[in-house]
Amino acid sequence: MRAPPLARLLAACAVMLALFVAIDGAIHLVMAQTPFGGPRPAPEPQVGGFVGWLLAKQSEFYREMSATIRAAKSDGSAVWTLLLISFAYGIFHAAGPGHGKAVISSYLVANQETAWRGIVLSFASALMQALVAVAIVAIGAWLLNVTAKTMCGAEKTIEIASYALIALFGARLVWTKGGTFIGALQAAPPQLAMTAEHHHHDHDHRYGHSHHHHHVHDDHSGHFHGPTPDELAGPGGWRRGFAAILTVGIRPCSGAILVLVFALAQGLVWAGIAATFVMGLGTAITVATIAVVAVFAKDIARRLSGGRDRGGVLVMRGIEFGAAGLVLLFGAGLLFGYIAAERTTCL
Amino acid sequence: VSIIRRVALLLLLLCGATAAQAHPHVWITAVSELLYAPDGTLTGVRHAWTFDDMFSTYALQGIETKKKGVYTREELADLAKTNAESLKEFAYFTFAKADGKREKFEDPIDYFLDYSNGQLTLHFTLPVKTPIKARQLVLEVFDRTYFIDFQMADKDPVKLVGAPEGCKMQLQRPNDGSASAQTLNEQTFAAGGANANFGMMFANKITVDCP
Repeated sequence: MRAPPLARLLAACAVMLALFVAIDGAIHLVMAQTPFGGPRPAPEPQVGGFVGWLLAKQSEFYREMSATIRAAKSDGSAVWTLLLISFAYGIFHAAGPGHGKAVISSYLVANQETAWRGIVLSFASALMQALVAVAIVAIGAWLLNVTAKTMCGAEKTIEIASYALIALFGARLVWTKGGTFIGALQAAPPQLAMTAEHHHHDHDHRYGHSHHHHHVHDDHSGHFHGPTPDELAGPGGWRRGFAAILTVGIRPCSGAILVLVFALAQGLVWAGIAATFVMGLGTAITVATIAVVAVFAKDIARRLSGGRDRGGVLVMRGIEFGAAGLVLLFGAGLLFGYIAAERTTCL
Repeated sequence: VSIIRRVALLLLLLCGATAAQAHPHVWITAVSELLYAPDGTLTGVRHAWTFDDMFSTYALQGIETKKKGVYTREELADLAKTNAESLKEFAYFTFAKADGKREKFEDPIDYFLDYSNGQLTLHFTLPVKTPIKARQLVLEVFDRTYFIDFQMADKDPVKLVGAPEGCKMQLQRPNDGSASAQTLNEQTFAAGGANANFGMMFANKITVDCP
């Protein structure tokens, strides 16, 4: 039961607009209390806790990289140390910052995706990130020998493009998920009678196809049997998955580019390239872990919300719609500078 | 209701994961001088910022020199100009308040780059828009996006040049655990990380009290 496209569009837009306005307001409220606006919380806070520790570790590994690359010039065995540090940096790096895991996790939650697919997406996008970093340095520094200003400009351009891609990707998710959510909304409340009717219908339908479904029916007796909109949407998700990989993977890590340029200048290009890929491997492991957690969290939510009855379906569609909205908001936030923390700074 | 709460929690977790965004890619060791006129007003700030070797190498990419590995001030002049101009976008990472009022800086003057031991040092002077006469001057140096980590030098980080007698300077570093420090935890990051200002937690705060 699908809402007409125009109603879907209007409803989706209204929700997104409301969300955006609310968040925009909240951000401005927070901004107003900063040194750029007015008063701010008095005491200087100290960086502690888990995030502080992540930041400290990351900085430590990153700064050790340059020393190790220098050492590798005279001592080949230092390359192994470099790879080890790069791997650790990749793991810690992705645990704190980076939009990759946010986009991938939200994408997995928005769609009916498996943990396996999450792992594959994480590794593929990290691999692409590494390839892009190597390509930028290979073309910019090695082939054309451009200045840092030009190279950083190119990085910024790619960055903006990647934010636009996230927003587009999010918009598309919101569009489709908004449709299924509204569909679920309309199907949901008015009642048990209606559910029973569908129930019956679905039975008939399935019997017509195959009798082997008997057991399944028994297991689920009393529950909603009809295929969910996602099941109807069917596979073909790999194309969507590729969009996710492209969205996340197109933007390389500035850290990898710095390491590559540094390695190139030290005459250790291959060590730099190896370090970049190992870094990507570390990043992929962290992103995959978070992605898997997100998928399981959704599973738990599904179970808690009462499995497959109407109300539960509604909740799940709501979560998916929310996750889709998150990708869109995130992309828009990055694109319009609300989330400036991730921007490359060109000096 | 509890389901909705759980769903909200899940979304919050996702948001939180995206909130702790920034981490430095550039490290700067800074030395700052506060310049005073004979009449006791503050006229400007002179910075000397030394970049970490990885970023220094990156910045030097594509610059031709007569002698390999040796960069003269002249050969670095274009880069220094680029640096000085680029810094404007970030308000020179330097924020001044005179008796609580925000003060503005002019474009940098007398800028140049030095290169030694694989590291670049950017020297520049920021004139204040109008000379400042204040009982308390607060100068903060930090990157609000925390792409750059600023650290004041261990030795002689701040100098008062020609300051009136009796002026006292105090430097508060990030992370120095001084009395007023409060611990920043994940919650702070989740709440404040998504907006761009959490870099101020890594601010170096110079306070000058004059009689």
